[in-house]
Amino acid sequence: MTLISAGTADWFDVEGTVPSPKRARRLKDGTLGLIVGLSMLILLLLLGILVPLLSPYSIDESIDIPFLPPNGTFWFGTDGLGRDVFVRVFSAVYLDLGVAFLGVLIPFAIGTVVGIGLAVSRSKVLNGVVGSIIDGINAFPLLVLAIALIALLGPGLQSVVIALSLTNWARYARLARTRAQVVKQQGYIEAAQTLGYSKPRILFKHLVPNVSSETTAYALSDLILVILLIAGLSFLGLGAQPPTAEWGAMISDGRATLQMAWWPVIFPGLALCWAGVSLSFIAEGLTRRERDVKS
Amino acid sequence: MTAPTHSAEAESPSEPTHGDGPRPQSAGEKILRRTGRAIIVAFWVMVVAFMLIRLSPGDPVTAALGGEAAPETVAALRKTLGLDVDPFTQFWQYFTGLFHGDLGQSLISGVPVTEMLRTNLPVTLWLILTTVTLTLVISIPLAMVIALARIPGLPYIFRTLTAIGLALPSFLVALLLLYQFGLVWGIAPIFGYDPTFPANMQYLWLPALVNCVVLVPVLSRVLYSSILDTLDEEFVETGVIRGVRSIRFYWFYVLRPSLAPTVVLLSYVMGVMVGSTVILEMIFALPGIGRELVTAVTMRDYPVVQGIILVFGVLVVFLSLLGDIIASILDPRVKLS
Amino acid sequence: MSASAETSSSANVLVEIRDLVIGIQRTRSDRLIIVDSANFDIKRAEILGLVGESGSGKTMVCRSLIGTLKRRSASIFGGSIVFDGMDLATIDERKWRTVRGNRIGYVPQSALTGPNPVMTVGKQIAEAVRRNRRRSDKNVRGRVMELLDLVHIRRPEIVYDQYPFQLSGGMRQRVMIAAAIAQDPDIVVADEPTTGLDVTVQAEIMKLLREIRSEFNMSVVLVSHDLALIDEVCDRLVVMHAGTCVEVGSVSDVAREPLHPYTIALNRSRIDIATPGAPLVTIKGNPPAVGEWPAGCRFAERCDFVQQDCTIGPNPPLLEVRKGHWSACLHADALGGSGE
Repeated sequence: MTLISAGTADWFDVEGTVPSPKRARRLKDGTLGLIVGLSMLILLLLLGILVPLLSPYSIDESIDIPFLPPNGTFWFGTDGLGRDVFVRVFSAVYLDLGVAFLGVLIPFAIGTVVGIGLAVSRSKVLNGVVGSIIDGINAFPLLVLAIALIALLGPGLQSVVIALSLTNWARYARLARTRAQVVKQQGYIEAAQTLGYSKPRILFKHLVPNVSSETTAYALSDLILVILLIAGLSFLGLGAQPPTAEWGAMISDGRATLQMAWWPVIFPGLALCWAGVSLSFIAEGLTRRERDVKS
Repeated sequence: MTAPTHSAEAESPSEPTHGDGPRPQSAGEKILRRTGRAIIVAFWVMVVAFMLIRLSPGDPVTAALGGEAAPETVAALRKTLGLDVDPFTQFWQYFTGLFHGDLGQSLISGVPVTEMLRTNLPVTLWLILTTVTLTLVISIPLAMVIALARIPGLPYIFRTLTAIGLALPSFLVALLLLYQFGLVWGIAPIFGYDPTFPANMQYLWLPALVNCVVLVPVLSRVLYSSILDTLDEEFVETGVIRGVRSIRFYWFYVLRPSLAPTVVLLSYVMGVMVGSTVILEMIFALPGIGRELVTAVTMRDYPVVQGIILVFGVLVVFLSLLGDIIASILDPRVKLS
Repeated sequence: MSASAETSSSANVLVEIRDLVIGIQRTRSDRLIIVDSANFDIKRAEILGLVGESGSGKTMVCRSLIGTLKRRSASIFGGSIVFDGMDLATIDERKWRTVRGNRIGYVPQSALTGPNPVMTVGKQIAEAVRRNRRRSDKNVRGRVMELLDLVHIRRPEIVYDQYPFQLSGGMRQRVMIAAAIAQDPDIVVADEPTTGLDVTVQAEIMKLLREIRSEFNMSVVLVSHDLALIDEVCDRLVVMHAGTCVEVGSVSDVAREPLHPYTIALNRSRIDIATPGAPLVTIKGNPPAVGEWPAGCRFAERCDFVQQDCTIGPNPPLLEVRKGHWSACLHADALGGSGE
């Protein structure tokens, strides 16, 4: 097919001449992805509230029958300590997502402030020094830095949030600074200045929103990364500590006995994937739609 | 419109960009500048690694020893860690120590950090190398096939699958694949390691594959959309008209011009990948510096932590530099500033 | 409906385009016609200008001459393009590979994105010389140098190893021209080759095209929206509007006695003859959008000489009103003598 006809006019027709009917167009413009992603997320969030509320078992309660396979009473079975996996998995929803949210929000806030501050400041020294520090921090893989900081702070979800706040902000700062520099050059900023608007007003009404819109897009994909990061850290024993119900920790707990009991690992794993994939679909859907609007 | 700076018929290459701007730098100059920038970043990496230990809200020494340690032990540890002098002297000691190859010693085993690195770093490097190779070998053809094959709906499937792939937790995938390939099918070793090449490949292929599950979606996506953009360019049509065919065409007219945007991504991907080696080494019980790091952290073995952090940082800087240079060689349009 | 071939010099005619219809197949039943009956000849060793506003279809006609319509998702739905015993409208891709670049060359529009940015200039021309066959490298390099010399590039040995972005726009286009003529084609198609180049450079490129015509006996099809340029450079011209050819003839004939209101309007709106201080003359209205062509003459709405019968019936055909001078205006005769 294409191998044979490389370099001929036959393959120019890359997307196909016959355009898609209206149904397919909706697929293409990302709306379907957006809807699917949102539904997945909402479902997860709902279950995250309802299950702990309505479940007859609490997350720490043990029925003293470990490794019960999924059955009529325990839909997800019990784990190594006889606890109900079902309620534990869904209790973790707001924990994992909430911590991840914090782990993105705080760096976002700090980073955007610093980034815009740098772009606006006229001090070359400041820009040079802080800029280099930002580059230096960004050079490290986030996971590695977080692990190192936990060496000092001690394990625990609290440390994870602190570690993330201390390190992830640099990525946002770099993004915000680049974006702010571009926005600064835009015509409407100059226009606002000539019109005599006060500096703070220009800052908050024009600069910040424009910079934030792009960093928000990044924040969404970052959220996925941070969820995985938190789960990963907990998996390594550096994040959520027992007996906390957290997906990564649950997977780590069930790891040794994976061969005989798959459910303590698979169900938290599925939940983790579900969360990540739903956000991924949402992010994908949003970018496709934006691209359509732009083109 | 630029004012014409020549009136002669023939155009001379000595002023190639007639008033279009400053003389373009030679490839060598660009590389030098980029390397210079990398060195500066590496310096800040050192600073960050240095500051890490001293960033603790409390006192790292008491944190390591616990509250009831005898004052002499505390003082001794403080001296070992070099925390007994003021910060600037500390940094100076640290900095000069680096150049002597002295990164301190493990608080637990007493083994010099550099010694530990010598044993464990190669493993991590091999893992990274295998991962990068495997990722590229899969991503590039994948992106090209998806972009060029005119199967309706294929790009959509591709986008969906990659959206799922990049959101998967690597440790979960690792566990499951290790279980399946190792326990059930027995085609992958569950633990152990043989450092000689190519024997180490049998221990590395599965972890590298796990990494690919996340990295291939990221890379191939960007490459895919980049190829689509390239196909719209006029020179592709010109190439067809000139009669350029098959492999030459694919390489010079489709792939190479599409690689530029992947450059920025490469640096980012390196970072993510290097980070994920930590988890993979834990799961696959590979004796690399990632696993050492986790152990050191749980034991609060600060010199080791600091040393490994430093190595990781410099490694990523170096890999990004390498990636950028290769990309600029492949596509002269790439800006290395 | 068809323009009759020139009886006296049919040996001189390289390409005969008759009733060419080009369009896009949108869905199985829906076609969008972009060029509706193009009719003109391309003669040996002439520079033929193809003039029109954007949307007139001139790009499509130009692409049909090199067989890359698929790139714009377009196909030929009717008519013929007869070249050396072949009908280019119906030949398959295999045959096209022997024609494209070989017998009919192409100079891309943009000096910026026309050349391949990741290959050196020398290599690209070498590709055109080699055409995927193996020839001894020495021969190829020699020929490339020869070509670079032909397009007046000084120090070709240095330029050979440079990348397009290192060269000025004018030099890049010269290189493109060198590649286009590498195989000694009969025809070179140049689609607005001076886009983005400044006026002096433009003049030099045009001069180069004229040299190609005279020294190598090649025909050049020059597509442009700039009538002034066409007048200066071309021997004959074809004026297109809304998918049809509305006037065909020699540049001198058309200048002396334009036989279509569109040509007259174009002439009047030329920038180079505008009076400083006076408002710029433009052609009122816009050409009808593709797919929304009205009945009758498509220029009628904007025409200063419109009559009752202009808006009914089919699109007026191109007829030979004077010797060697065709017009699609129903009242061309009446126009004669009232031009600029």
